[in-house]
Amino acid sequence: MALKDIKAKIQATQRMNTVTRAMEAVSAVKMRKTQAAALEGRSYARAALSILARLSGSSELSNHPLAHARTGTKLALVVMTSDRGLAGALNSGVLRKAFEIVSGEYESVTVYAIGRKADEFFRRRNFTIAKAYENKQDQIELSVMEDLSREISNGFLAGEYDEVKAVYTNFKSTFEQVPSVRGLLPLTLESVSELVREIQPVRGKFSESAASSLEAPVRYTIEPEAGPVLDVLLPRLVAISLYHMLLESKASEHSARMVAMKNASDKSKEVARDLTRVYNKVRQAAITREVSEIVSGREALSV
Amino acid sequence: MKTFHLTVARVGENLFDGEAQFVTVPGEDGVLTVMANHEAFVTPLKSGTIRIEDAEGKKQEIEWEGTGLLEVSNNQATVIL
Repeated sequence: MALKDIKAKIQATQRMNTVTRAMEAVSAVKMRKTQAAALEGRSYARAALSILARLSGSSELSNHPLAHARTGTKLALVVMTSDRGLAGALNSGVLRKAFEIVSGEYESVTVYAIGRKADEFFRRRNFTIAKAYENKQDQIELSVMEDLSREISNGFLAGEYDEVKAVYTNFKSTFEQVPSVRGLLPLTLESVSELVREIQPVRGKFSESAASSLEAPVRYTIEPEAGPVLDVLLPRLVAISLYHMLLESKASEHSARMVAMKNASDKSKEVARDLTRVYNKVRQAAITREVSEIVSGREALSV
Repeated sequence: MKTFHLTVARVGENLFDGEAQFVTVPGEDGVLTVMANHEAFVTPLKSGTIRIEDAEGKKQEIEWEGTGLLEVSNNQATVIL
């Protein structure tokens, strides 16, 4: 390789390093913001959940249309991916999991895609996509989430779906994100309480703050009775579940991208170092060759 | 005056989070006020104004359209909208 080419390559690698370093820093900030948002929303989720926990013994809960388990096999699947790539194995993990589920024995499968990657994946495989949302913004748009939760609740109540599941990436720590599946409808106490418990990351900045569990149920006065309370509560729990899954997916996306970019930065540094070594060798070889040419030229003249 | 911890929240947004002296909410069967050490209690809410007086006596009003829930337990009140 010519000297000039190697030099150009070194410069290109260094430029790439600057870009990936910047992306790494940006993702780190975004990840922290998303985690903070998840923690802030927790008091809401916990209050809603503790009400549900206290009403869970009543027969109204199991008979409520949103909590009533059915035997049919019509599935609606909410798949949450990112819009953009460069985030390591994040999206492929979610999509693999989602594909596993839809390959199961279902009479019909309807997909709600959040993020362009999920939309493209299922469209290519000719699935019915009821709705596709973009997942570009860093803030989660409440209107999108409310719209989605209304739509799947209505579909469930109308009998279009017998079961609603969601596939998303659970944020455990900066280095660990796990593609997870969660049942959304029919609503059960277990699935919601598990979600609330998992809002807190296992490790990292936010893992130790305010770790209080659900207090033991106290005796409640329910005014006027459980039914109307559940009517208000259950749709909100669906929305909260979706909201938190979206937040988890966001935090995972940013941290996965951060790690991917960190690897890219490290690699580009390594490549630049190797190239510099090659450059020096080639240059030295050229100098040696020139010197020997001069010397031999002189010797030829002096004879 | 005794205070209690009050949280007024929507999904993804905390509208009030702190100590309060009392909160008045539009319950489905009429307006009701919760003060410190209220008994454990759950009730649905309807559209209207939520009035809060915080620990320093500062008043705050939140207008709300739609349904909601008020939950009180262990000297903590939570309004979810």
